[in-house]
Amino acid sequence: MNLDWSVVWLNRDALIAATGTTIMLTIATMAIAVPCGIVVAILRLYAWGPVRAAATFYVELFRNLPLILVVFWAFYVLPILTGLSLSPLATGLAALALNVTAYNAETFRAGINSIRRGQVEAAMALGMSRAQALRRVIVPQAVRRILPVLASTWVSLFKDTSLVSVIAVTELAYVAMQIRAQSFRVLEMLTAMAAIYWLLGYPQAKLVDWIQRRYNVTE
Amino acid sequence: MANVEISATRAKSAGAKIIRYRGVIKRYGAFEALRGVDLDVHAGEVVCLIGPSGSGKSTLLRCTNGLEMTDGGEIEFEGALLPRDEKPLRLMRARMGMVFQSFELFPHLTALENVAEGPRTVLRKSLAEAKTRAAAMLAKVGLADKEANYPSALSGGQQQRVAIARALAMEPDVMLFDEPTSALDPETIGEVLNVMKVLAEEGMTMVVVTHEMTFARRVGDWVAVFDTGRIVEQGPPQQIFDAPLTERTRDFLSHLGWAG
Repeated sequence: MNLDWSVVWLNRDALIAATGTTIMLTIATMAIAVPCGIVVAILRLYAWGPVRAAATFYVELFRNLPLILVVFWAFYVLPILTGLSLSPLATGLAALALNVTAYNAETFRAGINSIRRGQVEAAMALGMSRAQALRRVIVPQAVRRILPVLASTWVSLFKDTSLVSVIAVTELAYVAMQIRAQSFRVLEMLTAMAAIYWLLGYPQAKLVDWIQRRYNVTE
Repeated sequence: MANVEISATRAKSAGAKIIRYRGVIKRYGAFEALRGVDLDVHAGEVVCLIGPSGSGKSTLLRCTNGLEMTDGGEIEFEGALLPRDEKPLRLMRARMGMVFQSFELFPHLTALENVAEGPRTVLRKSLAEAKTRAAAMLAKVGLADKEANYPSALSGGQQQRVAIARALAMEPDVMLFDEPTSALDPETIGEVLNVMKVLAEEGMTMVVVTHEMTFARRVGDWVAVFDTGRIVEQGPPQQIFDAPLTERTRDFLSHLGWAG
């Protein structure tokens, strides 16, 4: 077999830029999906009936649709529904955020439910409102408790950003596939792509593990 | 009935009534946890609620600051009926300190942050002021050297003292204690009771649900004996422990091995 790894080196600038896009997509998605996930979880737990039902519908819808379908849907249907024409990057980000927010909402809901009732009572006995008790007492503890779950969501998300390549977002998977198509260096490019994903994903997972140990709350 | 006669012997009855319970009823489904409770708490008084488990002592305490809502009767705090609306209820809660059986310290905050949390979030003090006050309160309960400790690094007795400091930092008019020593190891019960005794000596108004009969007798000014959702007898500790008027009180105390 005739291998030519120079194709990776020759395209390093494109690959580095694409890797940057992948990382940026991951960070931006989480930056949206963590606060939105908290809000949706709180709506599912405490909101007035119909709002709660809507939040539940949203979560169950997006949790049970294949992400790639959501990506296509955001690309083809969202502009028709909303009249907005977003760039592929913004569309991909929206699809990822919709999906991950639904997962995070479930994670946060489980985390909030795991905090003892007595903690809310202690906060309320001090004179806090329900909102203050949530913000100051419940959510900070819930976040620490679910960090391991958020960590694995993060790592999944980092890999799942590759799905937005189907709508031509120039992230790592898309660019690597483009180079492969132009150079016919299939094995080299797929290997390079795998190496980049793994080398970036592994330390992220370890970093989040470390954060979890660092901020772990013991009772 | 006997109420008039008894209040004559009530040492601190000259003080204003801080809490007044009249015919308080609380139901959980078909179960009546409180079946018409009448009780007064005067300023500076230590009122101990004793009686078997499930007799309604803790329920009455939890109704006092609206953690549970009553189903009948009245609770007055400082001359005003306990509000049912969230906002005025919060203002009233901020003037009552509560200490729980299971401490309920906030595990993600240090001892100092736990104590500063109320002044900071509820009283809207500056961070510096809240921390100064918190430090003073921790010193008061003898834990000045534990400011930076998280609750998980404190013994049960220390955690409960931090919880007392947390309640005191709100400068409450009354302190509610819900079995504050029931979850503690025997060797740490004393340190918590001592802090409570000092508070009582300083004139803090306290309502204490307790199984510590020695504390009720020595520190209590007034003792109410609960049974199946009612107060079966109330009076000064000398009466309750030395010359109980009802059979039920005698039974309860003899079950605890209280010689009388």
